Amino acid sequence: MSAPHTRVLVCCGSGGVGKTSLSAALAIKLARSGLRVAVLTIDPARRLADGLGVGALGNDAREVPLRALFGDDGGGRLDALMLDARSTFDNLVRRFAPDARAAQRVLDNRYYQFASTRLGGSHEYMAMERLLELVQSGAYDVVVLDTPPTRHALDFLRAPERMSGLMDQGVLKWLVMPAGVGGWRALEFGSEAVSSVLKALLGEGTVGEIAEFFDAFRGLGDGMRQRSLAVRALLRAPTTRFFLVSSPAAAARAEALFFLAVLREERMPFGGFLINRVAAAPPAFSRGEWSGRSPAEALALDAVDAQCAEQADLAAAHAKAVAALRAEGPAGAACWLVPEQSGELHELSALIALGAALPDAESVWGADGTGA
Amino acid sequence: MTMSGQAPRVVLVTGKGGVGKTVVSASLALHYASIGLRTVLVETAGATNVSALFGRTGSGYALTELRPRLSTLSLTPEAAIEDYVVQQIRFKRLYTMVFKNRVMGPFIDAVPGLHDAVQLGKVFDLSRERRAGGHAWDRVVVDAPATGHGLTMLGSARSMMELTRAGPLHEGVKQVQDVIGDPRHTAVLLVSLAEGLPVNETIELWERLGESRALLRGVALNLCLPSPIGAADWRDGSGVLDAVPNGAALRGLVERRLQRVDQQAAAAERLHAATGAPVRALSDLRAARDGLNGRPWAEPDLLRLAAQLDPSGLGL
Ligand SMILES: Nc1ncnc2c1ncn2[C@@H]1O[C@H](COP(=O)(O)OP(=O)(O)OP(=O)(O)O)[C@@H](O)[C@H]1O
Ligand SMILES: Nc1ncnc2c1ncn2[C@@H]1O[C@H](COP(=O)(O)OP(=O)(O)OP(=O)(O)O)[C@@H](O)[C@H]1O
Ligand SMILES: [Mg+2]
Ligand SMILES: [Mg+2]
Repeated sequence: MSAPHTRVLVCCGSGGVGKTSLSAALAIKLARSGLRVAVLTIDPARRLADGLGVGALGNDAREVPLRALFGDDGGGRLDALMLDARSTFDNLVRRFAPDARAAQRVLDNRYYQFASTRLGGSHEYMAMERLLELVQSGAYDVVVLDTPPTRHALDFLRAPERMSGLMDQGVLKWLVMPAGVGGWRALEFGSEAVSSVLKALLGEGTVGEIAEFFDAFRGLGDGMRQRSLAVRALLRAPTTRFFLVSSPAAAARAEALFFLAVLREERMPFGGFLINRVAAAPPAFSRGEWSGRSPAEALALDAVDAQCAEQADLAAAHAKAVAALRAEGPAGAACWLVPEQSGELHELSALIALGAALPDAESVWGADGTGA
Repeated sequence: MTMSGQAPRVVLVTGKGGVGKTVVSASLALHYASIGLRTVLVETAGATNVSALFGRTGSGYALTELRPRLSTLSLTPEAAIEDYVVQQIRFKRLYTMVFKNRVMGPFIDAVPGLHDAVQLGKVFDLSRERRAGGHAWDRVVVDAPATGHGLTMLGSARSMMELTRAGPLHEGVKQVQDVIGDPRHTAVLLVSLAEGLPVNETIELWERLGESRALLRGVALNLCLPSPIGAADWRDGSGVLDAVPNGAALRGLVERRLQRVDQQAAAAERLHAATGAPVRALSDLRAARDGLNGRPWAEPDLLRLAAQLDPSGLGL
């Protein structure tokens, strides 16, 4: 089973709402409060590296130089990682193959080489695997997981189960049956038809390769099934929290609610909403009370007036949107409003500023850290 | 100006999540319909945002007419696979037996690239569909998935070709690739925002397009905001705020906007320098934005964005 002391935070939400930025900001905040934190992004893009200013991220943990950056020392630590699905998959194969030859047989299979990076859901599956590795390493108090946009994130919640179902020998039995060394024979009954349809579609050679892949994978099945059970348990652990990130936009809120329903169904613990990029009301200004001493001053006052009007509109619309999400969400759900920041967020200082609006460890897991 | 008859029939729109791919696709499609071209707007990977944008409910794999000459459909991999397979093996019952099979279902799911390739295949079919002596559709506008998935979809026909090497599927995807990979038939538009990370990602996306770079016709820099005042007037006139209560905060409000406007110009330049493609600034139509209230878009707003995109100037 997974090491009990590492807690997991997952940020989910629709495209572009700020999952990556808020994951990083949360991780920084938790690390600065003295915790050992890892933040894992499974987005294929190099975003988080930009955000954390640690250059190229990789599958291996890179320490974010918090101390050098802040000069403070809360005893915490922050590692940032980006998922490399291929090498995670390769490691998994090596680990669970009965011997080196069996591992090599899988790694050399052409279908595997395709599948390990392109298989629908393989990225998501490997993210879960990597998450489990990080948790089990015992090196962290908290692992923060960034995710791809919602519909994909759904894939990843279900990926372990789906994948172990796939690896189940059931598929192989339907597809083809090894008939001694090097030969393949379609099984009786309906499976013959199945097999011939697939061959007609994919070509005989390809079906053979796929069958061989599943055959080579058979020895790995049990180990992988154990892993997927462990992931399943981890995602439902009492200290795990899913935060749903949304912008004030109607579509993003709808996605967050959709995701909430999935969490319920899957019995995965909901931590709260993070409503990002909420506009603040403008400072008070009354154009009528001022007149410029020059045309430029008059224009400047007009510009201020126009900007205030626009900002006031936006802030009012956002306040309505926030109220709507509160009303549609579960009663008493935690709701964190993250203000729109000016300028660019790839600066670390901007990510730190975001932290002020985000939950700390105590508000997520309670004073004793158990999440009870 | 390019003759519309010679412009690519298929236009794929992609970019980072949430940047406005659907709005840009819808603007472009509406523009085509409004100049008399029969247009189909295709949503992919099960997305169904177009009908709400046009104030309709429900959309699926079957074509829905939104306006005269403008129809939409939403592709799901499942429906596209069924469509393809039933076409190939001609027996619905056999399809059901194989593909709806509890054990085989997940297996079919797992054939890498198949989901994306069949969706691309459907796009190809639409672009070739005939009606009364001509093409059924003058334009097929595809609201493609975001970044990574969009790339996978674009490359899926080629991936399937490599995976299958021979057989009917191989032949099928080869035909698709011949059209989807050819700049005379297919164009790609990227949508980006004028912020650091999205610009980086757009450039990264362009790099990862590989052979498909030749398809790129333009980059839409979406959600651009206007400047409330010229830089010189602001410099000369903003001193007046020293006397105004909250002066510093008010100054900050305008200056953030001015910075933003500079950032937009810089983003456009960076995108053009990196991709070589024309960059078009599209306004943030906040008033029109369904964003906050979920209301449909007004046609004139979509057409305004299309005019800013200037399709004919992009050879589209
Ligand atoms: N509070 C904020 N204020 C200002 N800008 C923000 C804020 N939060 C995020 N952004 C900006 O929004 C953009 C999208 O953020 P981010 O990449 O974190 O979103 P995401 O949800 O991870 O996107 P994707 O779905 O593509 O992975 C970035 O340019 C980021 O800098
Ligand atoms: N030019 C614009 N002016 C005002 N609002 C806009 C503009 N472009 C897009 N929006 C709004 O921004 C939000 C995101 O746009 P859209 O849905 O087109 O993005 P997308 O890239 O298709 O997102 P996804 O990746 O989730 O499919 C929507 O609420 C849309 O109405
Ligand atoms: Mg992200
Ligand atoms: Mg969209």
